[in-house]
Amino acid sequence: MVGGKVRGKSLAPVGVNIVQDAERSLELALQDAGIPRERVEIVAGTGYGRFKVHFGQFVVTEISCHAKGAHHLFPKTRLVLDIGGQDTKAIRINERGEVVDFSMNDKCAAGTGRFLDVCANALGYDVADIGALSLTAKAPMRITSTCTVFAESEVTSYLSRGKRPEDIIAGVHASIANRSISLLQRAGIEPEVTFTGGVSRNEGMVRELGNRLKLPINVSPTSQYVGAVGAALFATERVEAGPR
Amino acid sequence: MTRGADSGAFLGSARELQKQMVDRYYSSLQPGNERKPVAYMLVGGNLAEIVRAFGYEVVFPEIVALTCAIKHTSLDYILKAEAMGYGLDVCGYVKNDLGLQESGGETVFGKIPPPDLLVCSFSGCYVYVKWWEALAEKYGVPLVTFDVPYMRGPTPLKEDMAYMVAQLEEFISKLEKITGRSLDRQELRRILARSRAAEEGWVRFLQRGRERPSPIEAYFEAVFYMFPINVLRGTQEAVDFYEAVNRDVDRRIAERQYPVPTEKVRLVVEGVPPYPHYRTFWDFFKSWGAVSVAATYPKVGGLFDRGFLHDPARPLESIAEYSLGAYVNQSWPLRRAIIADYVKEYEADAVLIHGIKSCRSFTAGQGDLRDYVSRELGVPTLYIESDHQDPRYFAPAQVKNRMDAFFESLEHRRAVSHAAGVV
Repeated sequence: MVGGKVRGKSLAPVGVNIVQDAERSLELALQDAGIPRERVEIVAGTGYGRFKVHFGQFVVTEISCHAKGAHHLFPKTRLVLDIGGQDTKAIRINERGEVVDFSMNDKCAAGTGRFLDVCANALGYDVADIGALSLTAKAPMRITSTCTVFAESEVTSYLSRGKRPEDIIAGVHASIANRSISLLQRAGIEPEVTFTGGVSRNEGMVRELGNRLKLPINVSPTSQYVGAVGAALFATERVEAGPR
Repeated sequence: MTRGADSGAFLGSARELQKQMVDRYYSSLQPGNERKPVAYMLVGGNLAEIVRAFGYEVVFPEIVALTCAIKHTSLDYILKAEAMGYGLDVCGYVKNDLGLQESGGETVFGKIPPPDLLVCSFSGCYVYVKWWEALAEKYGVPLVTFDVPYMRGPTPLKEDMAYMVAQLEEFISKLEKITGRSLDRQELRRILARSRAAEEGWVRFLQRGRERPSPIEAYFEAVFYMFPINVLRGTQEAVDFYEAVNRDVDRRIAERQYPVPTEKVRLVVEGVPPYPHYRTFWDFFKSWGAVSVAATYPKVGGLFDRGFLHDPARPLESIAEYSLGAYVNQSWPLRRAIIADYVKEYEADAVLIHGIKSCRSFTAGQGDLRDYVSRELGVPTLYIESDHQDPRYFAPAQVKNRMDAFFESLEHRRAVSHAAGVV
């Protein structure tokens, strides 16, 4: 980020070597921005691997970062839904983008991106394709299990009964939307709602949530980067505040 | 996002005394030692004074269980109980105890003797009633179950008091038959006087959390010091202990030894601690300069800081009042009021609620409590969940993530308020 604007970005899967993956991601973002490493003033680490960003100067949780990033992109946002790989978070924020309250899923993967991954794989689809597929559903199935492993069995069972993949996946989306709405209600539903994280790239999920909330939902074309944008904004504030 | 450094220095001689006291107690229970008959009892609304007057030693399996958990041995007993057929959702205290009993009472801190008498003093949790019944069946010893009316108002109803006193009289008659001796009512009064003296000392300690900075840790430290108010109440040892604790707190203030070197966040904490990860959980607090100034859990053995003290002049009436007023026997509106008062009296910045999966009687209602504190009182509140006994339910990265986000937002909002000139 330079002068409050995103200059370069990268998105990379994280494996067992988080430190190396984070380094590589920084290099790719710098290549994208056309900025040499020496010009980097400050780096913030965020997410579950934040303490592994050894080359960073400070850490912030992704909860604060998604709040700040979403507020930056949509200043009227008061509620952020972030569905990532292992967590779902409903974050209520104030007019300055500060976290007022938040609710998160239980420690299991029910209702998260991982849940969607597992169900997509069970159907033989790539997770990137199921959003569009679900929009063609005619009669969504009902996925009742709250456990990722059992939901996978339920999906397989529907398939073996000859149900259509688009109807099954629409049921999976409905199941995640139900759990997400419970979290949003706990945090307190207030317009505007902004949807962030990897699952926000899934148009079927966006539609399902919008239908149930009966509210328009903001989704940025860079919604997967909202946490990183927030972290960069925290870093920018630190640079602007000068040395402490 | 500066972090407060760890400080264990504030835990001085009192903590050492407490460790010695716990060791002495468990040593006294060992086979080969001349020991008294043992009454098993539940902490909530316990009747320690009466059984002591009949010459019993008191064992609280809940306290044995939490000691197993804090020493990282609870899972072995829990797995044993699950192998016996107890389900995943059965209370961790119950499974720890039943697994332990099946292991012959052997623990890393000594052998727990089997009961000679079972007193189910808190019947608000039906699982507890079944637990005591399982023990009665295993050991074939007398079981006495009290029917304790639920508290819906701030003071006990007259008819509830009469009902409890009648049950106590019946209990005394039963004990007279079992032991073959009459109750020495003078001795009961002497025991109650010592209970009261210990309670006064305990309250003095707890109320030091009102000071700024707080010289005590009212959750993590208080949990250590709960032992005598529960296990040794009615003994001179407990009275002396709280005098020593209060002297230690005076020393801390003189030497400026505080639980966190720079107090940044004052918390009221509700809920049972995650004992298998006690230190890790405490470290999460310390890393943000957060100190508990008041907590509800250390009051499960008595809400002495809310005005109740045992009264030797009204022996059975005050024991009845004590049983009725147990924290977990209070309705949710009463529990809410206690927390609201603590926030005000102790000038807390926030409330942290720790829910435990395996105890519905303590935890059910905490979601509404969270909404009440955050929305109606306007006090930032964090709800996290794990378990008090079962280490499998504690996810350190997730708990830390939630706590970091919570403290981060408190710190940020405070910085903004300061910048705007609002203190």
